[in-house]
Amino acid sequence: MGDKKKQKMTPEQQQYQELEQKHELKRPVVKNCIKAFLVGGLICTIGQAITYFYIYFFNFTEQTAGNPTVATMIFLSMLLTGFGVYDHIGQFAGAGSAVPVTGFGNSVISAAIEHRTEGFVLGVGGNMFKLAGSVILFGVFAAFVVALVKTLLTMMGVL
Amino acid sequence: MMNMKQAVNLLAILIMLGAGTAGCTSFGKTSPESRASMIQSVNPDPGATNDLDEKDIKLAKKVKKDIAALDEIYDVAVITGKKEILVAYKVKHLKRFGMKRIEKEINKKLEKNYPDEDFIVSSDYKIFIEAVELRERMKDPSFPDKKAEEQLQRIISLKKELT
Amino acid sequence: MLIGKQSWQFANKPVIESWGSSGGPFEAEGKLAADFDVLHDDLWMGEESYEKAHRVLLEEAIKSALQKGNFNKEDMQFMLAGDLINQITPTSFAARTMEIPYFGLFGACSTSMEGLALASFIVNYQGAKKTVTGASSHNSAAEKQFRYPTEYGGQKPPTAQWTVTGAGAAVLTDNPDKQGKIVTTSATIGKVVDMGISDPFNMGGAMAPAAADTISAHFKDLNREPSYYDLVVTGDLGRIGQATTYELLQQSGLEITKEQFKDCGLLIYNDDQPVQSGGSGAGCSASVLYGHLLNQMKNGVYKRILVVATGALLSPLSFQQNETIPCIAHAVSIEMN
Repeated sequence: MGDKKKQKMTPEQQQYQELEQKHELKRPVVKNCIKAFLVGGLICTIGQAITYFYIYFFNFTEQTAGNPTVATMIFLSMLLTGFGVYDHIGQFAGAGSAVPVTGFGNSVISAAIEHRTEGFVLGVGGNMFKLAGSVILFGVFAAFVVALVKTLLTMMGVL
Repeated sequence: MMNMKQAVNLLAILIMLGAGTAGCTSFGKTSPESRASMIQSVNPDPGATNDLDEKDIKLAKKVKKDIAALDEIYDVAVITGKKEILVAYKVKHLKRFGMKRIEKEINKKLEKNYPDEDFIVSSDYKIFIEAVELRERMKDPSFPDKKAEEQLQRIISLKKELT
Repeated sequence: MLIGKQSWQFANKPVIESWGSSGGPFEAEGKLAADFDVLHDDLWMGEESYEKAHRVLLEEAIKSALQKGNFNKEDMQFMLAGDLINQITPTSFAARTMEIPYFGLFGACSTSMEGLALASFIVNYQGAKKTVTGASSHNSAAEKQFRYPTEYGGQKPPTAQWTVTGAGAAVLTDNPDKQGKIVTTSATIGKVVDMGISDPFNMGGAMAPAAADTISAHFKDLNREPSYYDLVVTGDLGRIGQATTYELLQQSGLEITKEQFKDCGLLIYNDDQPVQSGGSGAGCSASVLYGHLLNQMKNGVYKRILVVATGALLSPLSFQQNETIPCIAHAVSIEMN
């Protein structure tokens, strides 16, 4: 894809882009990766602590504690998004805060907050899954495909 | 957006709610053993719900020895009930990848050694805690056998829950 | 009068009588806070939505400009203004409040100079006695439309820019008494330049060729040297755009010095504010020019400046359809008479 784009550019454009690349501030990839790793790990540690809390104090097994843990994490992400803190965490951590379920919660909640001024049905309801919609769609579709493959392989006796 | 005062108030209310509901426990986590089982291997001695049955206790001891012999397992709790035997075990952290295989192995071994007995096998941490809890309760001689059996059945139904 | 290929020279020297600017909380913490007439504590400005607040910003800038020059809105023949929002509704709604015959303009972030150039032309040829021109932008309204919801935790790269929450407006008249007054003397209209950059988080890099093109065209059309001006200031190129434009101009042989060459997007914010590469938005060039820069001219710091506002003519849809970013730049020369 990148090559196709390059071929469509005139030599003048290519020349300019080389010049511009020199001045472009590059993303500090290694630093970003470390930050994402630490923040992502921290969020997951908090999630694990919450899981243990539910196993210990309530009637959940390791198997069933996943549900209340995710609900609690999303609740926390709602608080952080509502207080205007989560976007600062996001700027710092990048993927570290976007990938865990808290990032998913943030994408839905921030869109819901944003479109409040356009009414509840068309504004909030219509736009809430602006960012999360494709996550849900492709997640469900991928799960379907994987389940199908597994069923076929099991039927054939491979698995 | 909220100002600082409102935010602190809301957070305080939430923390109090959380701390309050922490008291809503069902079985009561009182014994030091079950509290410790979170961070170390407690090695509870095997028990039977029917206190007077020597055969049951001997059986439980044998089962525990068998399971503890497995390399990947570092803690086992066995409780014999009227109809089934509950075997709860903890797998070493790095060996958790083969959890399903270990369960199959244990089931095979138990089937081989004790073909007449019904086993409920679980690697779940909650089941282990509950089993240890029940064992501690049973050590008290005034704890009725019927109640112990009831609790055992409750633990088994908890194990069977999927969501 | 047409001069050269794409420039106008204003022989009748339209006078910039008065000017006003308004800003938001971020601008209030910036370097030029003192030059803003109205500053707000928050982005809502007492309104229910960001778009409504955006309208308020422009209204305040225009009212401030009118008040400082002792004008009434009924005196104005035309209003030429624009912003970044879809269908430029905040500006249109402000025009509804001001009740001045209205030209709605869209040049993205180059709207301020597009408006000043057209207003100068109209006034120069007695098409109007008094006009109002300006531009505005609102950070949250722009983020909502062009990028992601404002509370979304996405990470911006270091090439990204921060849309200014601000507005600037000026009153331009055909006042025959020009002694000691600031006048517009010429304008160069830019053409759309597209060098194949497609990253909407790197507007500076996309706009640099357009800025270089218009600046070169200006000096060629008017047969001037860069030393004619005390300041050549671009609208919102930011760190990367400014450095790239500077190199392009050097390559084409124009001898602009680094001290002469400034950028509104870099002037407006402090170094410790998290704005990545600098400020941007239609309100950036407008609020800095119709505030700080004209104040400096009035105080005698600059005698002749060339203001080059740059705009990136993309939409969220064009980016999703894999289009590159075409850009444009308009230049107006402003001198102390």
